[in-house]
Amino acid sequence: MKIRTLYHAVAALAVCTILATSASADDVEVDVEVEVDETNVEETAPVAAVNNYVGDYAPGIQRGYGQPDLFYNFYTQGGANRVNAQMYLSPMPVPPNVGHTFYTYQPFYPHHMLYPHQNRFHHQYDCGRGMNRTRALYYYPPARQAASNVYWNFLRIPR
Amino acid sequence: MIHRIILAVGLVTASVAASQTSVTAGDPYGMAQVWSYNFSMNRPWHGNYYNQMHGQPLALIVPPTAHMRQTYSWGVGQNLMYPIHHQYGRSANSPGVAPRGGFHATPRWPSHTDQFGTYYVRGPW
Repeated sequence: MKIRTLYHAVAALAVCTILATSASADDVEVDVEVEVDETNVEETAPVAAVNNYVGDYAPGIQRGYGQPDLFYNFYTQGGANRVNAQMYLSPMPVPPNVGHTFYTYQPFYPHHMLYPHQNRFHHQYDCGRGMNRTRALYYYPPARQAASNVYWNFLRIPR
Repeated sequence: MIHRIILAVGLVTASVAASQTSVTAGDPYGMAQVWSYNFSMNRPWHGNYYNQMHGQPLALIVPPTAHMRQTYSWGVGQNLMYPIHHQYGRSANSPGVAPRGGFHATPRWPSHTDQFGTYYVRGPW
């Protein structure tokens, strides 16, 4: 009897765990409505001296928005290097008299083409009032991958 | 009954592990990633040789899912496998460029693949 009760408890724990993980995996969107008592603001401060806005963390403490670097690069890490390398231009930088080359669109960075994954790029503009979100999927072309599988698994002579 | 309990616990563990779909490369808890990061903090990404075309050790970018490299040399016992610990990150480091004379040139008769001055660094996730 006790064993059966324990078994039910384990099953219930499994269901709860699955529900919790599936709920946490979803993207949660939260709508926040903020009401501002305009009459109160006008009474306490003149229009020219308003220093708090809707969306501030607190009165006078404004929300910061990320301004990501457009031409960011990647570097080798660690404390034991006698020389460090940058990733772009890869595999080696061009001579100084040649100038430089920039990738201006982050989803087209070549290092994303190295493995299948998905990524999201955010850009906030107009002091956080606008946001551009770009979702990028990197995957193997299905038809070519299927043909490659057929070749490697059936047609190729194993040697 | 004890077998069913063990089976249920196994199913719970498997469902928790399988529900984390955001990670890739067969490393659901990121343990190998942490090991690689810790190893790369106190080991250099380069060897003792510079690349002939570059004048510095040359970092060759490989996919972040790559995890081993192979070196070849004369003799059976010299063909070795090493893990690729280093991965590109965002912050720039110093020194950026090594002074001249800090690294060996490729010998006139190379005897090891590390002597060509090209070393793998995994790309960022």
